[in-house]
Amino acid sequence: MGKYGDKSVSMNIKGVRFRPWRKYAVIYRSVLMENLQYAANIAMGFFSYFVFIFIFIKLWGYMYRTPGELIAGYTKEQMIWYVMMTEMMFFGSNAASVAGEVARDIRSGNIAYLMNKPYHYTLYILSRYTGEWSIRLPMYALLAVVIGTVMVGPLPHFRLTAVPAMAVCVVLGLTIHAVFKLCISLFSFWIEDATPFQWLYDKLILVVGVMFPVEIFPKALQPLLKMTPIYTVCYGPAKLIVDFSPEKCLEILAAQILYLTVGCVLMSLIYRKGVRKLYVNGG
Amino acid sequence: MLTAAKNQLRVCLLSMKYNMMREMVNKVTFLTNVCFMVLNNASILVQWIILFRLREDVGGYTFREILFLWGLTAASFGLSHILFARAFSLSDLIIRGKLDSYLVQPKNVLVSVLTSSTDISAIGDFLYGVALVCACRPGVGGFFLFLLFTVTGTAIFTAFALLLGSLSFWFVRMDILQGQMVMGAVSFATYPDGIFEGISRFLLYFIVPVGMAVWYPVHVIVSFHAGMFFAVLGYACALSVTAVAVFYRGLKRYASGNLMEARM
Repeated sequence: MGKYGDKSVSMNIKGVRFRPWRKYAVIYRSVLMENLQYAANIAMGFFSYFVFIFIFIKLWGYMYRTPGELIAGYTKEQMIWYVMMTEMMFFGSNAASVAGEVARDIRSGNIAYLMNKPYHYTLYILSRYTGEWSIRLPMYALLAVVIGTVMVGPLPHFRLTAVPAMAVCVVLGLTIHAVFKLCISLFSFWIEDATPFQWLYDKLILVVGVMFPVEIFPKALQPLLKMTPIYTVCYGPAKLIVDFSPEKCLEILAAQILYLTVGCVLMSLIYRKGVRKLYVNGG
Repeated sequence: MLTAAKNQLRVCLLSMKYNMMREMVNKVTFLTNVCFMVLNNASILVQWIILFRLREDVGGYTFREILFLWGLTAASFGLSHILFARAFSLSDLIIRGKLDSYLVQPKNVLVSVLTSSTDISAIGDFLYGVALVCACRPGVGGFFLFLLFTVTGTAIFTAFALLLGSLSFWFVRMDILQGQMVMGAVSFATYPDGIFEGISRFLLYFIVPVGMAVWYPVHVIVSFHAGMFFAVLGYACALSVTAVAVFYRGLKRYASGNLMEARM
């Protein structure tokens, strides 16, 4: 298990420089190329995204009754753009399929084959996930910009110069999301099917982070919500896109790094404990 | 004729029974799936609590009417996935040429296909829907109307999935579109019709059958209207007949995948 993959430092074997991270780059590139072949299939998923956005445009159109009205400090345009951005991350990352892959590997016993490869299984899954969203996310981002511009209007006070900082927050948010989903999937080592736990986690993210910004919840709940993964996975990146400020950006980045570190340690611990429980029949 | 129908019904019931028994082999997984689906559905109530804190009504619906909307959608969607889950993955059977094992059976092909699978988590959807409507205290008449509209909603959702799935006999990649259209319809069904207007409202009533499966029935349960009542019944029958006709028309074009498969 992860005989070589765990080592993050470069090694020198008989004069040949060996970079352990290179194999993950190769996995990433192969998934990226594979997904490029199926870009048309990815585009067929646009329909679901459009349905969600259409519903929310209509819903917020109804809730905001007077022009210029503010709800929880957001204008109608900001609120709809917020939902579009969070949904873009949700649809563009497709973390559900990655989590499903892990659960299937464990249930089918395929993991016995994968964990003997010269890579760490969880990093292999994360590389595949990154390869997947590298194609999906830009496609959904483009769609979101087109729908938003046509149906809602341009985002007020959007700062083009802040796009790199926003992109870093989005990437970190997607990675944290995948790490937590992986942690839940790894529970399949103990219980046969961890999917119900995935539903609850997804619904928590969806209801509390994707559909509404944290400010819309009662004031007493807001500090609590900011301590959950929701703050780093979807609220933070989307908030920066609709209402950027350098201070907020630093605060969100710090929280994301902390969450990613804790998530990775947790994932590694669960995986180590889980593989000890693994019992695979021959075949 | 009557004996044949009785035999067919017996086979359907046996098929459903064995589907259930197969899924219940692992009782912990079975119970977790059902209970967590109830919790999963219940968590969405947070969204409505938040929205009703902002306004007294959403799309002309009170909180109680939203609960009816959710209850009816969950119960109809749940029942259709308990009884006819295969209708929602029919495209996959057609595209991969997996219909062969159903064609050689001396029973009705469509009924055998539709009842060949059960989605266990849908039991959670169904129970949640019934519990939610009961919590709203609809009265005896209202509850019977709810049960009747659950049946019509089940027929409409299943027929819609069957219709889209059957298009796979003619078009490729309908599997993706079938899933998205059905889930899109369910997404629309969980929001009040008052927020939609113009062409989108017309489409949602007559093309994507959300209005007839959920919105009209909720209006009838809240305040009885004979016209709407019969419109729902008529639409459910018409859509079911159309879906069955399209399936059999498409079946003539079916080409076997030469796939060796056993149904147990």
